Amino acid sequence: MKSDTERTARFNELAKAYSTDLYRYAMWICGNDALARDLVQETFLRAWRALDSLKDTTAAKSWLITILRREYARTFERKVPKFTDVENVVIRDDDELEPEERTERDLLRQGILRLDAKYREPLLLQVVFGHSCEEISEQLGIGKSAVMTQLFRAREKLKAMLQKDGITGNVHELF
Amino acid sequence: MSMNFSEFKKLLGADPWNRDPDFLRARNSSPEFERAAAEAEAFERKLQRALHTAAPDDLLEDIAGIGLHAVKHRRWVPLAMAASLILAVGAAAIFYKQTHTVIDTRTYVAEHFALDGMDLIARATAPVPEQDIRAVLSSLHAHAGPQLSERMRFIKFCPTPHGTGAHMVISTDQGLVTVIFMPDNKVRDGQMVDFNGMQAYLVALEHGSAAIIGRPSQHVAQLRTIVTSSLKTGDAQV
Repeated sequence: MKSDTERTARFNELAKAYSTDLYRYAMWICGNDALARDLVQETFLRAWRALDSLKDTTAAKSWLITILRREYARTFERKVPKFTDVENVVIRDDDELEPEERTERDLLRQGILRLDAKYREPLLLQVVFGHSCEEISEQLGIGKSAVMTQLFRAREKLKAMLQKDGITGNVHELF
Repeated sequence: MSMNFSEFKKLLGADPWNRDPDFLRARNSSPEFERAAAEAEAFERKLQRALHTAAPDDLLEDIAGIGLHAVKHRRWVPLAMAASLILAVGAAAIFYKQTHTVIDTRTYVAEHFALDGMDLIARATAPVPEQDIRAVLSSLHAHAGPQLSERMRFIKFCPTPHGTGAHMVISTDQGLVTVIFMPDNKVRDGQMVDFNGMQAYLVALEHGSAAIIGRPSQHVAQLRTIVTSSLKTGDAQV
């Protein structure tokens, strides 16, 4: 059994390394700022309780994502979260962009939020966490070729949306 | 054999940063391939920018507080847990007696699982420390052998028709399965109970009984050996 100090230090390292990416992931799977924050806090609360079961530190990222996904599934079991008029989702930004870039980024964000979960989740695991197709396959419990197809289609849908509607369009019919 | 453009585009769409040697060779094989790769990489940068949202400023502070709070209050946890347990078992037992004066095991299993069975499965995310398993089962005059304890993902006391039992979630090759140990209930061995899309297989033990609960696809009857060989009853051995 590790001492409290060691345990706390280990926990804080995990929080520093992964809390921002977990928040991003949560934000994009649920589309709700407050729920994303709750999900991340609940994830780390459970992680704290089960910390001694994490033997392999290199598996920490996948372990935390698994906890978060289960917690999100539980949230849906209890109630359907209030979701979302995509245009009204509040997204925190810390960058500065030119107006045209900003418009394009916002359109892309609407598209991401409208993607079906089966396309959105693998895309988030790849882009936010840098997972390989094999890691996504393991995390989601589906075959690697299915993962590759979903990633390909996710990008195609987003590109089609940008090309079709430019910066002014309506993306609903593509999803 | 070299990769054609259609295959290349599919791989590119699945992973623009693919570093597979065949993929990289194809990427540099002609201007058409190079142009497609450059376009994909440009799109990827837009995608990364779109997904790169900022986290709340105080998120990390809140999370760090979880560990600090837990350590500070750890000394009170065993007492608080014991008090909560006594209250919870007592309240549940009173409630149960008031509402279920006569109840058979089959009805009990279905109703008990409907109460919080799925919720507890969702909470069964990590192995349970041996001492926690021992703490619950020894007070019910039972103990779990390694085949059961190593699979344990959740355990708590629960009310049963004739007293207190244990509600467990165990990890099996067929996924997470619930086992309810009822030390004071006798059942006819091998009965199957169907309820709400679930199945419970009742097992008679040396002292008391157990219900193994899962979805029909999990073939719960096949898991009886884990319970009969590893859940030893009638004696609080350690």
